[in-house]
Amino acid sequence: MSKVLLKLNTLPCLGGYENAFALFIRKGHHLRGKPPGVAKSLQQKLSELNIKDPSVHYKVDIGLPPVQVSRAQQVQERLDHLKQQRNDKELERLSRNRKLIVNLEESNKDWLATVGPQHLRKIAEHYGVFKDLFGDAYFYPQVPLNILYDTNQVYYGNIIKPEDASQTPQVTFDSDNDSFWTLIMTNPDGHFSNNDKEYVHWFVANIPGNKIQNGETIVEYLQPFPPKGTGYHRHIFILYKHSKKLDFSPYKTQGLTLTDRTFNTYDFYKTLQDNITPAGLVFFQSDWSPSLKTFYHNVLKMKEPIYEYDFPAPYIRPQDWYPKRKPFNLYLDKYRDPKEINKEFLMRKLKNIHPFKAPKPEPLYPNAQFIDKDVPSWLKTEIKKSRLKWGRINEIE
Amino acid sequence: MQVVRNCTKLFTPPVQIRNSSNALVKNQNLAPFVNRNPRNLERMRIAYKPDGYHVEKPGKNYWHKLNVTLSGKYVTATITHFENGEVLRASTSEWCIKKYLYRGKDTSAFINLGRILGFRCLQTGLTEISCDLEPKEDSKVALFLKALEDSGVQLKEPTQFKAIYPWHYERPEKPWEVVE
Repeated sequence: MSKVLLKLNTLPCLGGYENAFALFIRKGHHLRGKPPGVAKSLQQKLSELNIKDPSVHYKVDIGLPPVQVSRAQQVQERLDHLKQQRNDKELERLSRNRKLIVNLEESNKDWLATVGPQHLRKIAEHYGVFKDLFGDAYFYPQVPLNILYDTNQVYYGNIIKPEDASQTPQVTFDSDNDSFWTLIMTNPDGHFSNNDKEYVHWFVANIPGNKIQNGETIVEYLQPFPPKGTGYHRHIFILYKHSKKLDFSPYKTQGLTLTDRTFNTYDFYKTLQDNITPAGLVFFQSDWSPSLKTFYHNVLKMKEPIYEYDFPAPYIRPQDWYPKRKPFNLYLDKYRDPKEINKEFLMRKLKNIHPFKAPKPEPLYPNAQFIDKDVPSWLKTEIKKSRLKWGRINEIE
Repeated sequence: MQVVRNCTKLFTPPVQIRNSSNALVKNQNLAPFVNRNPRNLERMRIAYKPDGYHVEKPGKNYWHKLNVTLSGKYVTATITHFENGEVLRASTSEWCIKKYLYRGKDTSAFINLGRILGFRCLQTGLTEISCDLEPKEDSKVALFLKALEDSGVQLKEPTQFKAIYPWHYERPEKPWEVVE
Protein backbone atom coordinates (compact mmCIF):
# COMPACT_ATOMS: atom_id res chain seq x y z
CA MET A 1 0.00 0.00 0.00
CA SER A 2 2.78 2.40 0.95
CA LYS A 3 4.46 1.74 -2.40
CA VAL A 4 1.38 2.80 -4.30
CA LEU A 5 1.07 5.98 -2.28
CA LEU A 6 4.70 6.77 -2.88
CA LYS A 7 4.32 6.41 -6.59
CA LEU A 8 1.25 8.63 -6.69
CA ASN A 9 2.99 11.30 -4.64
CA THR A 10 6.08 11.36 -6.77
CA LEU A 11 4.17 11.87 -10.02
CA PRO A 12 5.02 15.35 -11.31
CA CYS A 13 1.52 16.18 -12.53
CA LEU A 14 -1.68 14.19 -12.98
CA GLY A 15 -3.31 16.16 -15.77
CA GLY A 16 -1.91 14.64 -18.94
CA TYR A 17 -3.09 11.73 -21.00
CA GLU A 18 0.10 9.67 -20.46
CA ASN A 19 -0.16 10.15 -16.73
CA ALA A 20 -3.68 8.78 -16.77
CA PHE A 21 -2.14 5.45 -17.78
CA ALA A 22 0.60 5.80 -15.17
CA LEU A 23 -2.07 5.81 -12.45
CA PHE A 24 -3.14 2.28 -13.30
CA ILE A 25 -0.30 0.42 -11.66
CA ARG A 26 -2.15 -2.62 -10.35
CA LYS A 27 -0.64 -5.67 -11.97
CA GLY A 28 -2.92 -7.82 -14.02
CA HIS A 29 -5.61 -5.15 -14.46
CA HIS A 30 -5.76 -3.80 -17.95
CA LEU A 31 -7.76 -0.87 -19.20
CA ARG A 32 -9.54 -1.55 -22.46
CA GLY A 33 -9.53 1.58 -24.61
CA LYS A 34 -9.02 5.10 -23.39
CA PRO A 35 -9.54 5.88 -19.70
CA PRO A 36 -12.82 7.47 -18.53
CA GLY A 37 -12.75 11.22 -18.94
CA VAL A 38 -10.59 10.94 -22.03
CA ALA A 39 -12.83 8.50 -23.91
CA LYS A 40 -16.17 9.77 -25.22
CA SER A 41 -19.23 8.91 -23.20
CA LEU A 42 -22.22 7.12 -24.73
CA GLN A 43 -24.13 10.39 -24.71
CA GLN A 44 -21.37 12.15 -26.67
CA LYS A 45 -21.19 9.32 -29.17
CA LEU A 46 -24.96 9.28 -29.67
CA SER A 47 -25.16 13.05 -30.11
CA GLU A 48 -22.45 12.82 -32.78
CA LEU A 49 -24.37 10.03 -34.50
CA ASN A 50 -27.72 11.80 -34.42
CA ILE A 51 -26.44 15.14 -35.63
CA LYS A 52 -29.02 16.94 -37.78
CA ASP A 53 -28.34 19.46 -40.49
CA PRO A 54 -30.46 22.56 -39.76
CA SER A 55 -30.72 23.36 -43.47
CA VAL A 56 -32.50 20.02 -44.05
CA HIS A 57 -34.17 19.11 -40.75
CA TYR A 58 -36.17 22.17 -39.93
CA LYS A 59 -39.79 22.57 -38.88
CA VAL A 60 -42.37 24.93 -40.34
CA ASP A 61 -44.97 26.82 -38.35
CA ILE A 62 -48.35 26.40 -40.08
CA GLY A 63 -50.52 27.84 -37.32
CA LEU A 64 -52.20 31.14 -36.67
CA PRO A 65 -49.91 34.08 -35.85
CA PRO A 66 -49.65 34.83 -32.12
CA VAL A 67 -52.03 37.40 -30.66
CA GLN A 68 -50.27 40.79 -30.73
CA VAL A 69 -50.32 42.71 -27.46
CA SER A 70 -48.61 45.97 -26.68
CA ARG A 71 -45.68 45.04 -24.48
CA ALA A 72 -45.50 48.48 -22.82
CA GLN A 73 -49.17 48.38 -21.96
CA GLN A 74 -48.91 44.81 -20.67
CA VAL A 75 -45.93 45.66 -18.45
CA GLN A 76 -47.73 48.69 -17.06
CA GLU A 77 -50.85 46.64 -16.27
CA ARG A 78 -48.79 43.94 -14.58
CA LEU A 79 -46.79 46.44 -12.53
CA ASP A 80 -49.99 48.10 -11.39
CA HIS A 81 -51.43 44.72 -10.44
CA LEU A 82 -48.31 43.78 -8.46
CA LYS A 83 -48.25 47.14 -6.69
CA GLN A 84 -51.86 46.66 -5.67
CA GLN A 85 -51.03 43.14 -4.47
CA ARG A 86 -48.11 44.40 -2.35
CA ASN A 87 -50.50 46.63 -0.42
CA ASP A 88 -53.13 43.93 0.02
CA LYS A 89 -53.01 43.14 3.75
CA GLU A 90 -55.50 40.28 3.45
CA LEU A 91 -53.46 38.54 0.75
CA GLU A 92 -50.31 38.93 2.85
CA ARG A 93 -52.02 37.37 5.86
CA LEU A 94 -53.36 34.43 3.82
CA SER A 95 -49.96 33.85 2.26
CA ARG A 96 -48.20 33.96 5.63
CA ASN A 97 -50.67 31.48 7.18
CA ARG A 98 -50.40 29.09 4.20
CA LYS A 99 -54.10 29.60 3.47
CA LEU A 100 -53.68 31.16 0.02
CA ILE A 101 -55.37 28.87 -2.51
CA VAL A 102 -55.02 29.80 -6.17
CA ASN A 103 -58.08 29.06 -8.30
CA LEU A 104 -56.89 26.41 -10.76
CA GLU A 105 -59.55 27.16 -13.38
CA GLU A 106 -58.73 30.87 -13.54
CA SER A 107 -55.01 30.23 -13.52
CA ASN A 108 -55.44 27.71 -16.32
CA LYS A 109 -57.39 30.25 -18.38
CA ASP A 110 -54.58 32.77 -17.94
CA TRP A 111 -52.04 30.10 -18.80
CA LEU A 112 -53.74 29.39 -22.13
CA ALA A 113 -53.83 33.13 -22.86
CA THR A 114 -50.12 33.63 -22.11
CA VAL A 115 -47.47 30.89 -22.27
CA GLY A 116 -49.90 27.98 -22.67
CA PRO A 117 -49.56 27.55 -26.47
CA GLN A 118 -45.75 27.23 -26.17
CA HIS A 119 -46.10 24.60 -23.43
CA LEU A 120 -48.76 22.76 -25.42
CA ARG A 121 -46.56 22.60 -28.50
CA LYS A 122 -43.84 21.00 -26.39
CA ILE A 123 -46.18 18.40 -24.90
CA ALA A 124 -47.74 17.66 -28.31
CA GLU A 125 -44.24 17.09 -29.68
CA HIS A 126 -43.56 14.79 -26.73
CA TYR A 127 -46.60 12.75 -27.77
CA GLY A 128 -45.48 12.81 -31.43
CA VAL A 129 -48.68 14.53 -32.55
CA PHE A 130 -47.15 16.82 -35.18
CA LYS A 131 -44.71 14.23 -36.48
CA ASP A 132 -47.42 11.65 -37.16
CA LEU A 133 -50.03 14.09 -38.46
CA PHE A 134 -48.16 16.87 -40.26
CA GLY A 135 -44.64 15.55 -40.83
CA ASP A 136 -42.24 18.48 -40.54
CA ALA A 137 -44.86 21.09 -39.66
CA TYR A 138 -46.10 22.24 -36.27
CA PHE A 139 -48.39 24.91 -34.85
CA TYR A 140 -49.12 26.66 -31.60
CA PRO A 141 -52.71 25.89 -30.49
CA GLN A 142 -53.87 29.51 -30.23
CA VAL A 143 -57.60 28.81 -29.85
CA PRO A 144 -58.52 27.03 -26.58
CA LEU A 145 -60.78 24.11 -27.41
CA ASN A 146 -63.12 22.66 -24.77
CA ILE A 147 -64.32 19.14 -25.48
CA LEU A 148 -66.39 17.48 -22.82
CA TYR A 149 -67.60 13.87 -22.63
CA ASP A 150 -70.23 13.85 -19.87
CA THR A 151 -67.79 14.42 -16.99
CA ASN A 152 -64.45 13.81 -18.68
CA GLN A 153 -62.84 16.76 -20.38
CA VAL A 154 -60.33 16.16 -23.15
CA TYR A 155 -57.04 17.92 -22.41
CA TYR A 156 -53.62 17.13 -23.82
CA GLY A 157 -53.06 13.41 -23.40
CA ASN A 158 -55.21 12.43 -20.41
CA ILE A 159 -56.74 8.95 -20.28
CA ILE A 160 -60.41 8.43 -21.15
CA LYS A 161 -61.86 4.91 -21.31
CA PRO A 162 -63.79 3.90 -24.47
CA GLU A 163 -67.09 3.51 -22.61
CA ASP A 164 -66.80 7.07 -21.27
CA ALA A 165 -66.34 8.38 -24.81
CA SER A 166 -69.21 6.46 -26.43
CA GLN A 167 -71.40 9.51 -27.07
CA THR A 168 -70.73 12.62 -29.16
CA PRO A 169 -68.97 15.17 -26.94
CA GLN A 170 -69.91 18.78 -26.31
CA VAL A 171 -67.61 21.20 -28.09
CA THR A 172 -67.11 24.86 -27.21
CA PHE A 173 -64.59 27.45 -28.35
CA ASP A 174 -64.40 31.20 -28.74
CA SER A 175 -65.01 32.59 -32.18
CA ASP A 176 -66.07 35.72 -34.03
CA ASN A 177 -69.17 35.49 -36.22
CA ASP A 178 -67.44 35.77 -39.61
CA SER A 179 -65.10 32.82 -39.58
CA PHE A 180 -65.78 29.16 -40.33
CA TRP A 181 -64.28 26.19 -38.54
CA THR A 182 -63.74 22.50 -39.20
CA LEU A 183 -63.23 19.93 -36.45
CA ILE A 184 -61.63 16.55 -37.17
CA MET A 185 -61.01 13.74 -34.71
CA THR A 186 -58.57 11.06 -35.84
CA ASN A 187 -56.68 8.14 -34.37
CA PRO A 188 -53.18 7.76 -35.88
CA ASP A 189 -52.38 4.62 -33.85
CA GLY A 190 -55.22 2.27 -34.63
CA HIS A 191 -55.19 1.45 -38.35
CA PHE A 192 -55.53 -2.30 -38.87
CA SER A 193 -53.83 -2.67 -42.26
CA ASN A 194 -51.81 0.47 -43.07
CA ASN A 195 -49.78 1.81 -40.19
CA ASP A 196 -49.14 5.19 -41.81
CA LYS A 197 -52.85 5.95 -42.06
CA GLU A 198 -55.39 7.12 -39.51
CA TYR A 199 -59.04 6.40 -38.82
CA VAL A 200 -61.30 9.42 -38.84
CA HIS A 201 -63.72 9.24 -35.91
CA TRP A 202 -65.55 12.50 -36.42
CA PHE A 203 -65.56 15.21 -39.07
CA VAL A 204 -67.68 18.32 -38.73
CA ALA A 205 -67.06 20.93 -41.41
CA ASN A 206 -68.03 24.54 -42.06
CA ILE A 207 -69.02 25.40 -38.51
CA PRO A 208 -70.25 29.02 -38.59
CA GLY A 209 -68.89 30.88 -35.55
CA ASN A 210 -68.90 28.59 -32.55
CA LYS A 211 -72.24 26.91 -33.29
CA ILE A 212 -71.15 23.34 -33.84
CA GLN A 213 -74.75 22.14 -34.28
CA ASN A 214 -75.00 24.26 -37.48
CA GLY A 215 -71.94 22.56 -38.96
CA GLU A 216 -72.02 20.01 -41.74
CA THR A 217 -71.30 16.49 -40.47
CA ILE A 218 -69.08 14.80 -43.05
CA VAL A 219 -68.34 11.68 -40.99
CA GLU A 220 -70.50 10.58 -38.08
CA TYR A 221 -68.99 10.16 -34.63
CA LEU A 222 -67.49 6.77 -33.78
CA GLN A 223 -66.27 5.92 -30.29
CA PRO A 224 -62.64 4.84 -29.66
CA PHE A 225 -62.02 1.09 -30.09
CA PRO A 226 -58.39 0.30 -29.26
CA PRO A 227 -57.91 -3.49 -29.72
CA LYS A 228 -56.81 -5.63 -26.80
CA GLY A 229 -53.06 -5.77 -26.30
CA THR A 230 -52.17 -2.73 -28.41
CA GLY A 231 -51.98 -0.29 -25.51
CA TYR A 232 -52.90 3.37 -25.52
CA HIS A 233 -54.08 5.10 -28.67
CA ARG A 234 -54.05 8.86 -29.17
CA HIS A 235 -57.35 10.37 -30.29
CA ILE A 236 -56.60 13.82 -31.63
CA PHE A 237 -59.06 16.67 -32.20
CA ILE A 238 -57.81 19.40 -34.51
CA LEU A 239 -59.74 22.59 -35.14
CA TYR A 240 -59.07 24.34 -38.46
CA LYS A 241 -60.04 27.90 -39.23
CA HIS A 242 -61.11 29.16 -42.64
CA SER A 243 -62.58 32.43 -43.83
CA LYS A 244 -65.14 31.04 -46.30
CA LYS A 245 -67.27 27.94 -46.74
CA LEU A 246 -65.33 25.07 -48.32
CA ASP A 247 -66.38 21.99 -50.19
CA PHE A 248 -65.51 18.85 -48.23
CA SER A 249 -67.66 16.45 -50.29
CA PRO A 250 -64.66 14.30 -51.42
CA TYR A 251 -64.23 13.30 -47.77
CA LYS A 252 -67.84 12.20 -47.42
CA THR A 253 -68.05 8.45 -47.09
CA GLN A 254 -70.81 6.17 -48.34
CA GLY A 255 -70.72 3.45 -45.75
CA LEU A 256 -69.35 3.66 -42.27
CA THR A 257 -67.03 0.69 -42.39
CA LEU A 258 -63.48 1.03 -41.15
CA THR A 259 -62.04 1.04 -44.68
CA ASP A 260 -64.17 4.08 -45.50
CA ARG A 261 -62.87 5.85 -42.46
CA THR A 262 -59.24 5.62 -43.55
CA PHE A 263 -57.81 9.13 -43.46
CA ASN A 264 -54.50 10.91 -43.74
CA THR A 265 -54.20 14.34 -42.13
CA TYR A 266 -51.00 15.07 -44.06
CA ASP A 267 -52.69 14.65 -47.45
CA PHE A 268 -55.83 16.41 -46.25
CA TYR A 269 -53.86 19.44 -45.12
CA LYS A 270 -51.68 19.41 -48.22
CA THR A 271 -54.65 19.76 -50.57
CA LEU A 272 -56.35 22.47 -48.51
CA GLN A 273 -53.37 24.31 -47.05
CA ASP A 274 -54.10 27.57 -48.87
CA ASN A 275 -57.53 27.81 -47.29
CA ILE A 276 -57.36 26.28 -43.81
CA THR A 277 -55.19 26.96 -40.78
CA PRO A 278 -54.92 24.67 -37.77
CA ALA A 279 -55.88 26.67 -34.68
CA GLY A 280 -56.85 24.34 -31.84
CA LEU A 281 -55.54 21.02 -30.57
CA VAL A 282 -56.62 18.64 -27.82
CA PHE A 283 -56.13 14.90 -27.55
CA PHE A 284 -56.74 12.01 -25.18
CA GLN A 285 -55.42 8.48 -24.83
CA SER A 286 -57.63 5.44 -24.65
CA ASP A 287 -56.92 1.76 -24.08
CA TRP A 288 -58.88 -1.47 -24.35
CA SER A 289 -61.71 -2.24 -21.96
CA PRO A 290 -63.99 -5.32 -21.71
CA SER A 291 -67.00 -3.31 -22.93
CA LEU A 292 -65.51 -3.22 -26.44
CA LYS A 293 -66.35 -6.85 -27.20
CA THR A 294 -70.00 -6.09 -27.90
CA PHE A 295 -69.01 -2.96 -29.83
CA TYR A 296 -66.84 -5.01 -32.19
CA HIS A 297 -69.59 -7.57 -32.68
CA ASN A 298 -72.57 -5.23 -33.07
CA VAL A 299 -71.18 -2.08 -34.65
CA LEU A 300 -68.07 -3.06 -36.58
CA LYS A 301 -69.45 -6.56 -37.37
CA MET A 302 -66.14 -8.27 -36.81
CA LYS A 303 -64.57 -10.62 -34.32
CA GLU A 304 -62.70 -8.91 -31.57
CA PRO A 305 -59.01 -8.87 -32.50
CA ILE A 306 -56.49 -9.66 -29.77
CA TYR A 307 -52.83 -8.78 -30.05
CA GLU A 308 -49.80 -9.43 -27.95
CA TYR A 309 -46.57 -7.52 -27.75
CA ASP A 310 -43.76 -9.16 -29.66
CA PHE A 311 -40.61 -8.88 -27.60
CA PRO A 312 -37.35 -8.79 -29.55
CA ALA A 313 -35.73 -12.21 -29.83
CA PRO A 314 -32.89 -12.78 -27.35
CA TYR A 315 -29.33 -12.99 -28.59
CA ILE A 316 -27.97 -16.51 -28.42
CA ARG A 317 -24.31 -16.80 -29.38
CA PRO A 318 -23.37 -19.31 -32.09
CA GLN A 319 -22.89 -22.81 -30.78
CA ASP A 320 -19.35 -24.00 -29.98
CA TRP A 321 -18.02 -27.44 -30.88
CA TYR A 322 -16.31 -27.75 -27.52
CA PRO A 323 -18.02 -25.44 -25.08
CA LYS A 324 -15.82 -25.10 -22.02
CA ARG A 325 -17.09 -24.76 -18.44
CA LYS A 326 -20.75 -24.78 -19.47
CA PRO A 327 -23.50 -26.89 -17.88
CA PHE A 328 -24.05 -29.32 -20.73
CA ASN A 329 -27.82 -29.72 -20.37
CA LEU A 330 -28.63 -26.00 -20.11
CA TYR A 331 -26.16 -25.21 -22.88
CA LEU A 332 -27.63 -27.72 -25.31
CA ASP A 333 -31.20 -26.71 -24.47
CA LYS A 334 -30.48 -23.23 -25.81
CA TYR A 335 -29.92 -24.68 -29.29
CA ARG A 336 -32.84 -27.10 -29.33
CA ASP A 337 -36.30 -26.47 -30.69
CA PRO A 338 -38.31 -25.11 -27.75
CA LYS A 339 -41.35 -27.10 -28.87
CA GLU A 340 -39.38 -30.31 -28.53
CA ILE A 341 -38.31 -29.41 -25.01
CA ASN A 342 -41.85 -28.52 -24.02
CA LYS A 343 -43.06 -31.84 -25.43
CA GLU A 344 -40.55 -33.63 -23.26
CA PHE A 345 -41.84 -31.87 -20.15
CA LEU A 346 -45.44 -32.57 -21.12
CA MET A 347 -44.78 -36.26 -21.71
CA ARG A 348 -43.13 -36.53 -18.30
CA LYS A 349 -46.14 -34.86 -16.72
CA LEU A 350 -48.70 -36.99 -18.52
CA LYS A 351 -46.89 -40.16 -17.45
CA ASN A 352 -48.09 -39.62 -13.90
CA ILE A 353 -51.62 -38.55 -14.79
CA HIS A 354 -54.33 -41.21 -14.96
CA PRO A 355 -57.03 -40.45 -17.53
CA PHE A 356 -59.92 -41.53 -15.29
CA LYS A 357 -58.74 -41.19 -11.73
CA ALA A 358 -58.59 -37.91 -9.81
CA PRO A 359 -55.10 -36.38 -9.67
CA LYS A 360 -53.02 -37.05 -6.57
CA PRO A 361 -52.92 -34.20 -4.07
CA GLU A 362 -49.82 -32.02 -4.29
CA PRO A 363 -47.32 -32.79 -1.51
CA LEU A 364 -47.14 -30.13 1.18
CA TYR A 365 -43.35 -29.90 0.93
CA PRO A 366 -42.62 -30.80 -2.69
CA ASN A 367 -38.86 -30.74 -2.31
CA ALA A 368 -38.80 -33.03 0.76
CA GLN A 369 -39.33 -36.11 -1.41
CA PHE A 370 -36.72 -38.83 -1.74
CA ILE A 371 -34.57 -38.82 -4.88
CA ASP A 372 -32.67 -42.01 -5.68
CA LYS A 373 -28.99 -42.02 -4.69
CA ASP A 374 -27.81 -42.99 -8.16
CA VAL A 375 -29.40 -39.99 -9.87
CA PRO A 376 -26.66 -37.64 -11.10
CA SER A 377 -26.48 -34.20 -9.52
CA TRP A 378 -27.51 -32.25 -12.65
CA LEU A 379 -30.67 -34.33 -12.91
CA LYS A 380 -31.38 -33.86 -9.21
CA THR A 381 -31.25 -30.11 -9.78
CA GLU A 382 -33.63 -30.42 -12.70
CA ILE A 383 -36.07 -32.53 -10.67
CA LYS A 384 -35.95 -30.02 -7.83
CA LYS A 385 -36.55 -27.14 -10.22
CA SER A 386 -39.57 -28.85 -11.71
CA ARG A 387 -40.99 -29.58 -8.26
CA LEU A 388 -40.62 -25.94 -7.24
CA LYS A 389 -42.07 -24.80 -10.58
CA TRP A 390 -38.93 -23.01 -11.62
CA GLY A 391 -37.79 -22.50 -15.17
CA ARG A 392 -38.99 -24.40 -18.22
CA ILE A 393 -41.71 -26.36 -16.41
CA ASN A 394 -43.73 -23.12 -16.47
CA GLU A 395 -43.97 -23.33 -20.26
CA ILE A 396 -46.42 -26.25 -19.99
CA GLU A 397 -48.08 -25.51 -16.65
CA MET B 1 -30.60 -9.05 -20.33
CA GLN B 2 -30.41 -7.68 -23.83
CA VAL B 3 -31.70 -4.19 -24.41
CA VAL B 4 -33.07 -3.30 -27.81
CA ARG B 5 -34.27 0.24 -28.19
CA ASN B 6 -35.69 0.78 -31.62
CA CYS B 7 -37.62 -2.32 -32.57
CA THR B 8 -40.17 -1.80 -29.86
CA LYS B 9 -43.38 -1.26 -31.74
CA LEU B 10 -44.23 -4.59 -33.29
CA PHE B 11 -47.30 -6.51 -32.31
CA THR B 12 -47.89 -10.01 -33.61
CA PRO B 13 -51.06 -10.83 -35.50
CA PRO B 14 -53.90 -11.98 -33.27
CA VAL B 15 -52.82 -14.95 -31.20
CA GLN B 16 -56.33 -16.12 -30.57
CA ILE B 17 -59.63 -15.20 -32.07
CA ARG B 18 -62.87 -16.00 -30.32
CA ASN B 19 -65.06 -18.65 -31.88
CA SER B 20 -68.19 -16.88 -30.76
CA SER B 21 -70.97 -16.43 -33.28
CA ASN B 22 -70.88 -17.75 -36.82
CA ALA B 23 -72.61 -14.69 -38.22
CA LEU B 24 -69.45 -12.63 -37.85
CA VAL B 25 -67.18 -12.43 -40.85
CA LYS B 26 -63.65 -13.59 -40.51
CA ASN B 27 -61.19 -10.78 -39.77
CA GLN B 28 -59.17 -9.99 -42.85
CA ASN B 29 -56.12 -7.87 -43.56
CA LEU B 30 -54.80 -8.20 -40.06
CA ALA B 31 -51.16 -7.38 -40.57
CA PRO B 32 -48.77 -6.89 -37.63
CA PHE B 33 -50.12 -3.97 -35.71
CA VAL B 34 -47.99 -0.94 -34.98
CA ASN B 35 -48.97 1.59 -32.35
CA ARG B 36 -47.17 4.80 -33.27
CA ASN B 37 -47.82 6.51 -29.93
CA PRO B 38 -44.33 7.23 -28.56
CA ARG B 39 -45.60 7.17 -24.95
CA ASN B 40 -47.53 3.91 -25.30
CA LEU B 41 -44.77 1.49 -24.31
CA GLU B 42 -43.84 3.65 -21.32
CA ARG B 43 -47.42 3.47 -20.09
CA MET B 44 -47.45 -0.27 -20.72
CA ARG B 45 -44.18 -0.44 -18.70
CA ILE B 46 -42.25 -2.26 -21.42
CA ALA B 47 -40.39 0.66 -22.96
CA TYR B 48 -36.63 0.89 -22.70
CA LYS B 49 -35.56 2.67 -19.54
CA PRO B 50 -31.90 3.61 -19.06
CA ASP B 51 -30.21 2.00 -16.09
CA GLY B 52 -27.22 4.26 -15.54
CA TYR B 53 -24.71 3.25 -12.89
CA HIS B 54 -26.27 2.27 -9.60
CA VAL B 55 -23.91 4.50 -7.58
CA GLU B 56 -24.39 7.46 -9.90
CA LYS B 57 -26.06 10.55 -8.52
CA PRO B 58 -28.42 11.80 -9.84
CA GLY B 59 -29.49 8.47 -11.29
CA LYS B 60 -30.57 7.99 -14.90
CA ASN B 61 -33.14 5.28 -14.23
CA TYR B 62 -36.35 7.09 -15.21
CA TRP B 63 -38.74 7.87 -18.05
CA HIS B 64 -40.05 11.09 -16.52
CA LYS B 65 -38.41 12.89 -13.64
CA LEU B 66 -39.32 15.84 -11.47
CA ASN B 67 -36.82 18.66 -10.96
CA VAL B 68 -37.20 21.72 -8.74
CA THR B 69 -35.04 24.79 -9.36
CA LEU B 70 -34.87 27.76 -7.01
CA SER B 71 -33.84 31.20 -8.17
CA GLY B 72 -33.62 34.44 -6.20
CA LYS B 73 -37.31 35.25 -6.35
CA TYR B 74 -39.07 32.29 -7.94
CA VAL B 75 -39.44 28.50 -7.95
CA THR B 76 -39.60 26.42 -11.12
CA ALA B 77 -40.67 22.79 -11.30
CA THR B 78 -40.04 20.86 -14.49
CA ILE B 79 -40.76 17.36 -15.75
CA THR B 80 -37.89 15.93 -17.79
CA HIS B 81 -38.01 12.98 -20.15
CA PHE B 82 -34.83 10.93 -20.53
CA GLU B 83 -34.78 11.41 -24.31
CA ASN B 84 -36.87 14.50 -25.02
CA GLY B 85 -35.59 16.71 -22.20
CA GLU B 86 -37.93 19.14 -20.52
CA VAL B 87 -41.53 18.42 -21.51
CA LEU B 88 -43.62 20.26 -18.94
CA ARG B 89 -42.98 23.12 -16.57
CA ALA B 90 -44.64 25.36 -14.03
CA SER B 91 -42.99 28.35 -12.45
CA THR B 92 -44.08 31.05 -10.05
CA SER B 93 -42.51 33.52 -12.48
CA GLU B 94 -45.26 32.75 -15.02
CA TRP B 95 -47.78 35.55 -15.01
CA CYS B 96 -50.72 33.15 -14.68
CA ILE B 97 -49.36 32.01 -11.28
CA LYS B 98 -47.52 35.11 -10.11
CA LYS B 99 -50.71 37.13 -10.56
CA TYR B 100 -52.41 35.29 -7.70
CA LEU B 101 -49.48 35.02 -5.25
CA TYR B 102 -48.14 37.44 -2.69
CA ARG B 103 -44.56 36.24 -3.03
CA GLY B 104 -42.82 34.01 -5.55
CA LYS B 105 -40.88 31.85 -3.12
CA ASP B 106 -42.78 31.65 0.17
CA THR B 107 -44.48 28.51 1.52
CA SER B 108 -47.81 29.37 -0.10
CA ALA B 109 -46.04 29.72 -3.45
CA PHE B 110 -44.55 26.22 -3.09
CA ILE B 111 -47.91 24.68 -2.16
CA ASN B 112 -49.75 26.37 -5.01
CA LEU B 113 -47.01 25.49 -7.48
CA GLY B 114 -47.46 21.83 -6.46
CA ARG B 115 -51.20 22.04 -7.07
CA ILE B 116 -50.80 23.73 -10.44
CA LEU B 117 -48.08 21.37 -11.64
CA GLY B 118 -50.24 18.43 -10.48
CA PHE B 119 -53.18 19.80 -12.50
CA ARG B 120 -50.98 20.15 -15.59
CA CYS B 121 -49.58 16.64 -15.12
CA LEU B 122 -53.08 15.18 -15.00
CA GLN B 123 -54.05 17.19 -18.08
CA THR B 124 -51.08 15.86 -20.01
CA GLY B 125 -51.41 12.26 -18.84
CA LEU B 126 -48.08 12.19 -16.98
CA THR B 127 -49.37 10.63 -13.77
CA GLU B 128 -46.32 8.64 -12.69
CA ILE B 129 -43.11 10.59 -12.28
CA SER B 130 -39.92 9.55 -10.59
CA CYS B 131 -38.56 11.92 -7.98
CA ASP B 132 -35.09 11.94 -6.38
CA LEU B 133 -35.83 14.76 -3.97
CA GLU B 134 -35.54 13.90 -0.29
CA PRO B 135 -36.50 17.10 1.49
CA LYS B 136 -36.58 17.59 5.26
CA GLU B 137 -39.93 17.11 6.88
CA ASP B 138 -42.15 20.21 6.82
CA SER B 139 -39.77 22.08 4.52
CA LYS B 140 -41.16 24.05 1.59
CA VAL B 141 -40.13 21.41 -0.94
CA ALA B 142 -41.81 18.71 1.16
CA LEU B 143 -45.03 20.73 1.16
CA PHE B 144 -44.68 21.16 -2.60
CA LEU B 145 -44.34 17.39 -3.06
CA LYS B 146 -47.31 16.76 -0.78
CA ALA B 147 -49.49 19.16 -2.78
CA LEU B 148 -48.36 17.42 -5.97
CA GLU B 149 -49.27 14.00 -4.57
CA ASP B 150 -52.61 15.23 -3.24
CA SER B 151 -53.57 16.38 -6.72
CA GLY B 152 -53.23 12.79 -7.96
CA VAL B 153 -49.68 12.40 -9.25
CA GLN B 154 -47.64 9.40 -8.11
CA LEU B 155 -44.03 10.24 -7.30
CA LYS B 156 -42.78 6.81 -8.20
CA GLU B 157 -42.46 5.13 -11.55
CA PRO B 158 -43.09 1.43 -12.13
CA THR B 159 -40.05 -0.63 -13.03
CA GLN B 160 -39.50 -1.74 -16.59
CA PHE B 161 -41.08 -5.07 -17.44
CA LYS B 162 -38.42 -7.09 -19.20
CA ALA B 163 -39.04 -9.94 -21.63
CA ILE B 164 -39.52 -13.42 -20.15
CA TYR B 165 -37.63 -16.24 -21.84
CA PRO B 166 -38.21 -19.99 -21.32
CA TRP B 167 -35.09 -20.42 -19.16
CA HIS B 168 -36.16 -17.76 -16.64
CA TYR B 169 -37.06 -19.01 -13.17
CA GLU B 170 -40.34 -17.17 -12.69
CA ARG B 171 -43.23 -15.97 -14.79
CA PRO B 172 -44.21 -12.57 -13.37
CA GLU B 173 -47.67 -11.26 -14.18
CA LYS B 174 -47.82 -9.18 -17.35
CA PRO B 175 -48.95 -5.67 -16.46
CA TRP B 176 -51.11 -5.27 -19.58
CA GLU B 177 -53.12 -8.38 -18.75
CA VAL B 178 -54.30 -6.97 -15.43
CA VAL B 179 -57.67 -5.28 -15.91
CA GLU B 180 -58.72 -3.14 -12.99
